[in-house]
Amino acid sequence: MNHAVISCLHANLAAVEAVLDDIDAQGIETITCLGDLVGYGPQPNEVIELVRQRGIPTCQGCWDEDIIDGLNACECSYPSQLAERRGHRAHHWTADTITEENKAFLAELPMTLRRDKLLFVHGSPNSQHEYLLPDMNAFAALERVETAGAETLFCGHTHQPYVRELSGGSIRVKVQQRGNSPATERELKLPMRRIVNAGSVGEPRHGSTKATYVVHNDDTGAVTIREVNYDVDKTCQAIVQTGLPEVFAWRLSHGFEYAERAEDASHVCER
Amino acid sequence: MTRGESLKQRVCLVSGPPGCGKTQWALQTLQSHHGSCSYIRLTGDSPDGLEQGLDSGIDQTWLQDQIPELLSAQRHEQGQDHDDDDQLTVIEVQQFRRPEHEGINGYGAQVQAHLESLQLQPTQILHFGRDPELPSQDTLEFSRLEAWHHSLVGCVWDPDSLSSFWFELVNGAYGDVYRAKALMNLPDGRSFFCNWMVSQQGSQFLPLNSTATPKGRPSRTSELVVQGKALNPPGIQSTINDCLLTDEVLEMQQQQLRSQQPTTPLQA
Repeated sequence: MNHAVISCLHANLAAVEAVLDDIDAQGIETITCLGDLVGYGPQPNEVIELVRQRGIPTCQGCWDEDIIDGLNACECSYPSQLAERRGHRAHHWTADTITEENKAFLAELPMTLRRDKLLFVHGSPNSQHEYLLPDMNAFAALERVETAGAETLFCGHTHQPYVRELSGGSIRVKVQQRGNSPATERELKLPMRRIVNAGSVGEPRHGSTKATYVVHNDDTGAVTIREVNYDVDKTCQAIVQTGLPEVFAWRLSHGFEYAERAEDASHVCER
Repeated sequence: MTRGESLKQRVCLVSGPPGCGKTQWALQTLQSHHGSCSYIRLTGDSPDGLEQGLDSGIDQTWLQDQIPELLSAQRHEQGQDHDDDDQLTVIEVQQFRRPEHEGINGYGAQVQAHLESLQLQPTQILHFGRDPELPSQDTLEFSRLEAWHHSLVGCVWDPDSLSSFWFELVNGAYGDVYRAKALMNLPDGRSFFCNWMVSQQGSQFLPLNSTATPKGRPSRTSELVVQGKALNPPGIQSTINDCLLTDEVLEMQQQQLRSQQPTTPLQA
């Protein structure tokens, strides 16, 4: 059975509608969402309500968390003063715009979702704010999946879709015995693990304006990265009409992220 | 006797449209001259729909930084003239279109009057796009051009924000920018000459040789000049405001730098 995994919707209604249409057209009935329903984009309430209406199981993203808990991330969240000020502007606009009912929905979202050996998170099992980049150190990547007890870890946050297979991993343990007995060594072979990044529906960051998501076949394990065209101009017009920074519309229409990643993207914010 | 009349003195007037490489050519020409040299930039005509970029002092400051012994040709006007026989003077004029007449008559009354007041008589006149002695790969013809400039004296940029702003500026976030150049201050006391032209692949970010002590706000020339079409000055201004460091943040960053760098750099 196929199921779809979507992430990082970022209040971009036209993109979400186009992706859901694409999923429906394939007859896929199971959808999982990895969070960041809001942030930067102009239609936070509409996107939350659509996800609620469709009953899509969703875990909490970093933006969803910030809207509920307030801006208490450390300075590392933004790569520059410019990005930070724009991010804060978008945060305050979003926080002022979202209804209390929708805020309550965001507040109740779980950090992770699990289905058998599949684990669904926004950033990493450790934090919604941690980036699992495609070129992350293999041992660290394997550790994130293995310690969470998953075979396949679905994540978002980076906005760059990818499938990474972690195979050939092993752990060598040397144990010193009591007395004069020689130390014994054991090597534990680790089975293959995978990280699947779903990319972003509402704020693509892979060199194209197309919305991305992934389709996973639960029987075969096959993963397909899907790219979907949507009405980018419609969202750009909404950005300008709502009074969000006009440059957001320009960046979205060129496939540039609203704010680049922090220099040390692997840093986990200590809250 | 006006300058240029002496056999050994060269007065070269070089003109061309924005971004064609006038200042770069002036730098190379002046650097390869062994005698004394001077430079001045004059404002040319603005035909219908073509706005001149303000002479903000960016070119003069950049050349002065690269050639510390460079004299200003304006000193003659100010009564400080001490010409020697082996002097080269380069006059840079932004001229959108090919001069219609030979010699100095190919330039507007304003340029001619200015040359007269400086007692400068060009011995050589070169125009980008006409004369084969000059490179022509960046010489574009403009039919309409807006210009916008902004003084940034005393302003200090967050370096990462400057990088994002420049990327947006030259990639069209604030209108169709054909030409952008600036002198920008960083908190560590360095100043960068930022230079971009639509015909070129990337931007130049060239550090000035002279640096300021990382303490407070430098008073040296700092400007941004943008030329293009459908420019969005409020948008540019708004982003600039988000990129500049407040007194408090600047002091915090500079204090850290001063504690790391006990040696005193050259004063700008």
